[in-house]
Amino acid sequence: MVEDSYDAIVVGAGGDGPVTAWKLAEAGLSVLVLEAGPFHGNEQWPNPHEEPGGEASSSVEDLSGDLLDEQFTTREFEMITNLVFGPADHERGFWFRKFPGDGAILQCAGVGGTTLHYTGCHPRAYPASIDEQGHWPIEYADLLPYYREVEEMCEVTPAPVTAKEELFFRGAEAAGWDLIEDLNVTEPGYRPQPNAIKQPDGKLHVDADYDGDFTYPDVEGDSLALGNIAGNPHPRGAPFEEKAKRASNVSFVPAALRTDNVTVRPNAFVTDVLTETPRGDTPTATGVEFRDTWSGSVERVEAEVVVLAAGAIETPRLWLNADLPANDWVGRGLTIHFGDNVMGLWDPDDLEETIGKPTVDQHEGQDIAARFDYPGVGMLQTVGTAPGIGAILGFGASASGFAFQNDPADAPWDTMGRLAGGDLKRLLSDHRRMLQILVVSDDRPHQRNGVTVAPGVADEHGPIPVVNYEPSEGDRRRRDELARIAADVLREAGASHVHRSDSPPTALHVHSTMRMGKVVDEACEAYDVDRLFVADHSVLANGVGGANPTNTGQALAARTGERIVERHF
Amino acid sequence: MVTSRIDEWVTTTWRSVASTWGLLLEFAGIGPDVDPHTRVTFRAIADAVVPETPALAEELGPEHVAGGLAVDLDEFAITYVDDGFQFGLPHLGPQGNMPIADPIAHVLDTAALTLLERGDNEEEPSLDRALSLLGPDDPSAAKTESAVGPFAKLSRRDRLRAIAILDEFEVEFSPTDHDLLELDAGLVGQLVVGFMEMIYYSEWQGYDDFTEPPSRRNHPNDPDAVQSWRQTGFPGFANGYAALRGYVGTDDGPLGDGDAWTTIDETTGVRIRRESGSFRENDYDTGGYEEPFPVESG
Repeated sequence: MVEDSYDAIVVGAGGDGPVTAWKLAEAGLSVLVLEAGPFHGNEQWPNPHEEPGGEASSSVEDLSGDLLDEQFTTREFEMITNLVFGPADHERGFWFRKFPGDGAILQCAGVGGTTLHYTGCHPRAYPASIDEQGHWPIEYADLLPYYREVEEMCEVTPAPVTAKEELFFRGAEAAGWDLIEDLNVTEPGYRPQPNAIKQPDGKLHVDADYDGDFTYPDVEGDSLALGNIAGNPHPRGAPFEEKAKRASNVSFVPAALRTDNVTVRPNAFVTDVLTETPRGDTPTATGVEFRDTWSGSVERVEAEVVVLAAGAIETPRLWLNADLPANDWVGRGLTIHFGDNVMGLWDPDDLEETIGKPTVDQHEGQDIAARFDYPGVGMLQTVGTAPGIGAILGFGASASGFAFQNDPADAPWDTMGRLAGGDLKRLLSDHRRMLQILVVSDDRPHQRNGVTVAPGVADEHGPIPVVNYEPSEGDRRRRDELARIAADVLREAGASHVHRSDSPPTALHVHSTMRMGKVVDEACEAYDVDRLFVADHSVLANGVGGANPTNTGQALAARTGERIVERHF
Repeated sequence: MVTSRIDEWVTTTWRSVASTWGLLLEFAGIGPDVDPHTRVTFRAIADAVVPETPALAEELGPEHVAGGLAVDLDEFAITYVDDGFQFGLPHLGPQGNMPIADPIAHVLDTAALTLLERGDNEEEPSLDRALSLLGPDDPSAAKTESAVGPFAKLSRRDRLRAIAILDEFEVEFSPTDHDLLELDAGLVGQLVVGFMEMIYYSEWQGYDDFTEPPSRRNHPNDPDAVQSWRQTGFPGFANGYAALRGYVGTDDGPLGDGDAWTTIDETTGVRIRRESGSFRENDYDTGGYEEPFPVESG
């Protein structure tokens, strides 16, 4: 049941919003979390994509591992369709956002937000990206206690090695890079991913001759089946909080509900921020208006404090559509880790020699479990995908046309560009002998890049977000350097063919559109609206160096929760 | 300039098609049957992106011959793009989804004409080639002939070249002079290549009916039940694998622990060990940081 007023409203139950909600609720405040998408694995919504279900959930008893098993099928196409940013109703398509060229934005709607798709990767920012690049008003050291707290909640540990990680580590070592064993990374090198996924049961070792079921309680922790991009319910049969992947719906949402101070209201799209403005003074946030995505009904709720955590696209969109005070940096400075894909293909005999079997089998192990860090440049990570997602991420899009139109000449890759037709079928016939490396560059915030709204092009929630992104020359050079390193690592690991996508800008990591120091102050309260805070990746002052942003976003959201209590309660 | 002319044409087409569809949906409450031009164009897309490849039989095996048309990829692609995006606007029908298969087909024809105008096609367009794409359930060739657009007449490679032309629509956005379609030509390429590939290589073909609600869909999860899985060797979705090799670490470092399972490099002592250690909470010093690449302002 949603009340008329709360101490705090958090707009968005994605990766970060539940962290702030948890902090506020632990301090004894009443908190309403409004989420545009559905609530999976909750007994109030047994068929969240088919029926409106209940109104809100306020009890950890509502959470059900069995329902999560049923709803998270791990079938890639179905789960992409269910989770990508759109209304819960399966008969209705995605919410439309404009993105330049043939790139795309990959975000999810639902409690857990894009951590429903994320692969559990939880590294910290590169210290230099915060202390040396000149974007941040706070220091890396300010984040350290919050990193530790988040890492404990998310059970962050070194990712396990299966065949594909061993292949990558052999390549990186042979290419002359060092193994990094640190949490605070200042030099280039490779390491296992710090993953927010419970480590696998030791009985799953290749030498242990395990022939039992891969379900709970026979297996506890990760079961080493690919599936994080598709939600990941493993191990099946486990209670909700014993699921291996510590996405925010499994880590922070139960912790928040357990305080008995939090109500989560899914299927609620916030369309306005309510304010009061004493004459000649700064506006003060007093509540929000939201629309039920099933019924279309509109409600208003009041609060002492409003926290925007709708993500780096929707938070500025909401600001702009709510007609809050103009600020030159609202929506601006977008970073997306301007990325690319470099794929290696192996001959069976070479694999036999390197990893002791003729296939890589990217469907085994965690999706992303090995990485290469390069502070100042970005990162690389191995990516295991099922073939459908692999095809669209690795081969379906390119900024340089089709592979048959390009002659890479002396480039370190054999082919470059989009693949289709017979070329695609021939290549994907070797799906079990390929390994993809995702290039993630440390792109920098530029004011021209960001989110605006299109007056006149509105959906049911107002003018739609229009996203602009054009990398700088420096961004391109960083990405090219990483692609060359990736190709070198793959060659050193024995790949017989290397393909580079030259991907168009695609937003998998989305940040820095409401930057700390520009739109919000050091406590993440808006300069131009009192009692309005932002607690999502949009407040990151840059792209944290190219490291996966979830840990930093959550650490900052935890810090913001504490600051809100100190300032206003 | 070609681009702006295409923009204009596309915008006009979009508006007329969208409003026609909107009216039909509004008055009839349902959408009409698939337009013959859209049908043959989408068959041409599926045939170019995932073609039938007899040449692969000898090289890779007979299971690699069949393409997208054999599993009606074109039909599902039309359904998918028509149901895939929504604005929630009443004139677009009860679900508010925005049907875009017809405009996509017209955009591709425009791209094909541009390719031909530039003389960048490698083979001559052919009506017979387009008609040969028709399936047994399609209307006769005589009835379809008038519905065949320039895109479907191109050779497979030339169809891909035409799609690549759409990537030139890198139109700059101006907040005061927006035009939805003008901004979205790149999306067409993404939908007809990227999404088509994702659908084909995913589990999609194994469902009895994907348009059913999620709780009523059945999927056999049998590697033999999906044509593309037979071609990629994907074994289907599993609950787990006994695939653990251990944890990477050095002899004297904190990351890996226990016996070495294998050695990555003897000189550096990097090995895969049986047990996990943990990352080190290290002191850090960024004082010597230098930008590896120049950073521009802006």
